[in-house]
Amino acid sequence: MGKLPDRIIAIFAEIGQAVYFLGEVLACVTRGRIRWTQVLRQIYEQGAQSLVIVALTALASGMVLALQGYVALARFGAKEYVSSLVALSLTRELGPVFTALIFSGKAGGRIAAELGTMSVNDQILGTRAMGVDPVEFLIVPRLLACCAVVPLLTVIAELVGISGGYLIGVTQAHIPAGFYISQTIKSVTYVDFFSGLIKVVFFGLIIGWTCCYQGYRTSGGSLGVGRYTTQAVAYSYIFVILANAGLTKLILSVWG
Amino acid sequence: MIGIVNLCKRFGEQTVLDHVNLEIRPGEIFFILGGSGSGKSVLLKHMLGLLRPDSGRVLINDQDITAMPEEQLLRVRAGAGYLFQDGALYDFMNVFDNVAFPLREHTRLPGAQIRERVREVLVSLDLKGVENKMPAELSGGMKKRVGLGRAIILGAKILFCDEPTSGLVPIRSRDISDLIRQVARRLNCTTVVTSHDMRNAFRIADRLALLQDGRIAALGTRPEWEHSANPAVQAFLQ
Repeated sequence: MGKLPDRIIAIFAEIGQAVYFLGEVLACVTRGRIRWTQVLRQIYEQGAQSLVIVALTALASGMVLALQGYVALARFGAKEYVSSLVALSLTRELGPVFTALIFSGKAGGRIAAELGTMSVNDQILGTRAMGVDPVEFLIVPRLLACCAVVPLLTVIAELVGISGGYLIGVTQAHIPAGFYISQTIKSVTYVDFFSGLIKVVFFGLIIGWTCCYQGYRTSGGSLGVGRYTTQAVAYSYIFVILANAGLTKLILSVWG
Repeated sequence: MIGIVNLCKRFGEQTVLDHVNLEIRPGEIFFILGGSGSGKSVLLKHMLGLLRPDSGRVLINDQDITAMPEEQLLRVRAGAGYLFQDGALYDFMNVFDNVAFPLREHTRLPGAQIRERVREVLVSLDLKGVENKMPAELSGGMKKRVGLGRAIILGAKILFCDEPTSGLVPIRSRDISDLIRQVARRLNCTTVVTSHDMRNAFRIADRLALLQDGRIAALGTRPEWEHSANPAVQAFLQ
């Protein structure tokens, strides 16, 4: 254990390095140094890897929301509002946050482990030795893919979750199918949908940044890969949750 | 020519390079010998700008690479080859794609010419028929040869080899050393090799330096080493 001032300095140094790292990525992007084939490959890999688990979680969440909502709203004679409850909960809050957290654990962990292994096996250093910028070749495609995949997965999660709610609403709460659908469409406004979507673009950036940075700076062999990968996932979770609180407050104060 | 002038590097409290001075002549095979942890690899990485020194300069063809920004260094590195201890092959690419990587990055050759060039290099390194294998399927010696192929595919004018014989049985160490000599002579490239394998160093080196306690303790040709009264050389030879 170092002395407290040393630890504080180390934390600020770490933050500085992480910000510098993001600056390098953004410099590549703004100069148009983007390898689109690699970006598409990453979108496919990250998306395909997380799709099933995101869809299953969304389906279960939608169904549970509808079940709980139906029981609670029925007490006030308002069971027909189950569809609104499910749709608004999923689009404004649960869809974005659940998707981001699942994506952190699944694809984020993979990104950190992949880059970490490459780092300890000198593949990242080897990239520099061959005269190729590893940030452009390895990091930019992964980070951009995160920013694209998380919103895509969120939209899918919201649709699947609403479908889960529909199944329960129609079969258990005996709400007419047409009424359920029309209520869902009526209750979700553009603001509801896009406020969630704006959040997940930031979540994608946060996850990509955290996991790429942790993987890129991994050292210490296989033990290091385990340590930095775990750190990547844990930090992503924390940052997503904190960012969600901040962004929700900001969006509500702007859009209401 | 590669010149190293008063190069110093510390990691925390540990001084790894302490005012190192060296001059490596064009076209020669130069070995940096030393025990484990003597700073050989650190010195080699400085020669290609992969590490920044605390003080001192590294000159490649009279250009001070320590003063260059990373972007300019990338262009310098493209003209050199670097063989890492374990090959440092991309484990998500097969052998063909690994060797073709520098060509795809730094040339505009069409696919057919890239295929032809990669095949030529693989055949010259006795690696015919392994194009589609992944690095995980290769032995240690094969990985080093593929790494060597990737390092020379652009016709490097400077070749750096970091411990090319470590982890290999004696016969394979001899093979890879011979290959390095063949490649160096064929490309007429300046070759810098770090090693603690004295036997193979003596077989193929034009000159050798001994790095000890962060300083160059001895420098000379093989006969000069063999007749040296320098206690550091005698201790290392024994």
